Amino acid sequence: MATDARILPLTRPAPRGILRSLLLTLPIFIWSPLMMGFRPGAKFDPVSTTAAAITALFMTVLFYIMMRTNSTYRWRRIFFVSLGILFPIGFIHNLYVMRGSMGIPIEEMIAGRTPFCFMPIPLLILPAAFTRTVIFPGSIASSSHGIAAMVGLWLALTLVMGKGWCSYACFFGGIEEGVAAIPPRAKIRKLDPRLRYIPWAVLLAMVLLSLALFEPAYCMWLCPFKAVSEYVAARNTVGLVQNVIFILLFAGLVIVLPFLTKKRTQCSWFCPFGAFQSIFNKISIFEMRIDKERCKPCLVCQNACPNLSLSKESVARGETLLSCMKCGACVDACPRQAIVWHIKGTQIAWKPERARLMFLYAAWAMAIMFGGSIIAQGIITILHVFV
Amino acid sequence: MCHLSPTPARMAREYPLMAAFVSYGEALALGLASGPACIAACGPVLIPSMLTERTGFRHHARYLSAFLAARLVGYMLFAVVAWELGALASMLPAPRLLMMGVVYLMLACVLLWYAYSARRSCAPSCADSKLIQIGENRNRNVAGAAALGLLTGLNLCPPFVVAGIRAAQLGSMAAALVFFLAFFLGTSIWFVPFVGLGCIVRNQAIITVARMAMVLIALYYLLIGIAMLLGKKTYGY
Repeated sequence: MATDARILPLTRPAPRGILRSLLLTLPIFIWSPLMMGFRPGAKFDPVSTTAAAITALFMTVLFYIMMRTNSTYRWRRIFFVSLGILFPIGFIHNLYVMRGSMGIPIEEMIAGRTPFCFMPIPLLILPAAFTRTVIFPGSIASSSHGIAAMVGLWLALTLVMGKGWCSYACFFGGIEEGVAAIPPRAKIRKLDPRLRYIPWAVLLAMVLLSLALFEPAYCMWLCPFKAVSEYVAARNTVGLVQNVIFILLFAGLVIVLPFLTKKRTQCSWFCPFGAFQSIFNKISIFEMRIDKERCKPCLVCQNACPNLSLSKESVARGETLLSCMKCGACVDACPRQAIVWHIKGTQIAWKPERARLMFLYAAWAMAIMFGGSIIAQGIITILHVFV
Repeated sequence: MCHLSPTPARMAREYPLMAAFVSYGEALALGLASGPACIAACGPVLIPSMLTERTGFRHHARYLSAFLAARLVGYMLFAVVAWELGALASMLPAPRLLMMGVVYLMLACVLLWYAYSARRSCAPSCADSKLIQIGENRNRNVAGAAALGLLTGLNLCPPFVVAGIRAAQLGSMAAALVFFLAFFLGTSIWFVPFVGLGCIVRNQAIITVARMAMVLIALYYLLIGIAMLLGKKTYGY
């Protein structure tokens, strides 16, 4: 761990030059319109085209600012919160157009017309291994939203990004990150570190129950985001109980607790998919590291981390916890530039900006691919209302 | 047609040895084939509870033996009931739902007790300090495993119902008991790999996660149990 003051400056680097920033943004400038459907011969629709153009411009400008200012978290958060707000807008609108209701009836599930979500991926593995059956009631490969396509894309991206998925692609996390950004300071500061174990417990319980019940138990009983996507069309008391659970979890973990703690509490204290993603942080080549020689443990980073992925012990070890989402909040907050983006196998703090760039290209390309279309869909819905 | 497929009772009368071989071989095969389903049904109870135990193959083997032995008792009880009733299928849906509801509620209570009591007994696995071992309740794991084994043994999973219906067709209660014993042996082979959980090094994180998972699973069983007692459907909203 030979860190060298000559390699890493102690003060925050000055803003990058405009030309250099534009040059670094060029790949994203090309990628964004491509992902938004601007291709030769594509059908022209004024509303869709406007929404796609706004989204492509939005993503490109944000990336440019990240390049120019050398800071990540604040600008990523703008994208992420927009994603969190626009996802339910577009999705709920679509549900009303298709079904006339947000509730999904059992007939739709039997017909496999449930849009696939990445949340049940860990729950599908054991039943598929034992019986070669996918227990999610969606189409396997009939569309770009089919299970096979989604799982394949998720696997490819997650192997590279690790838990970066949760900061750049998850369309649920943005809601609580937005709520957490509202209050100027946290009202609850002392948080029990054992709460970090809950996502693993939810993961273990849901994986085992999914195998026993042969249905995605998390989606049936515990997903807080059912409250803003497609809830259970309650036709009996059990359905009603399920909906009450969804709403209470959403209100508690996505609204109230983020507001009181300024943390992403659903992600930190509940989400089983997040726990599952954490495992891939072991494989991903990107990680955050702390230069122990430079760090005077002021723990500003610990307070800044929205996901409780830093503890006194982990800071002393020079690393984040396994649950790190690579959002960059700690890097931006550190007054001594001690936390850096790092590529495994290289010397710590050796050209950290290069590691950051490599990570951000991968992360932003993924963000545009997944989040871009969702943001565009949300904008289309809004344009339909006003235009 | 009657000659091609004789009833088990007639076959037992005319060819007793072959009948026994076919019948118990069938039970063993049924058990072996149903093993994955049994693991799926018992997994939510067995895996978290084993994870709260201390490290070691021998310890886990003892735990699993207690679990399986109690499960065998559950099977035997079920065999007696199945034979006495003539056929499980004749059991009315309402009493069956009631019985299942009670079993689920008891399972939830045992899991909650287990999750609570595991707080004191992670002891030797958590750390080397002998001081922590003072609080360990050595009887907890055997009694807990036995309670969980018995209750999961009474659980009406689909292969178990099939075995119950088949056992009900046999000539005597003793034959039904042996049939269930063979079925039990077939399913139990699938449980042997669980002893491997003994090689996972325990720390506070693993034990806490296992305890929390037990509470979640217990809450699910509690909800399902109450729903069954109230006669509510738990599938197909």
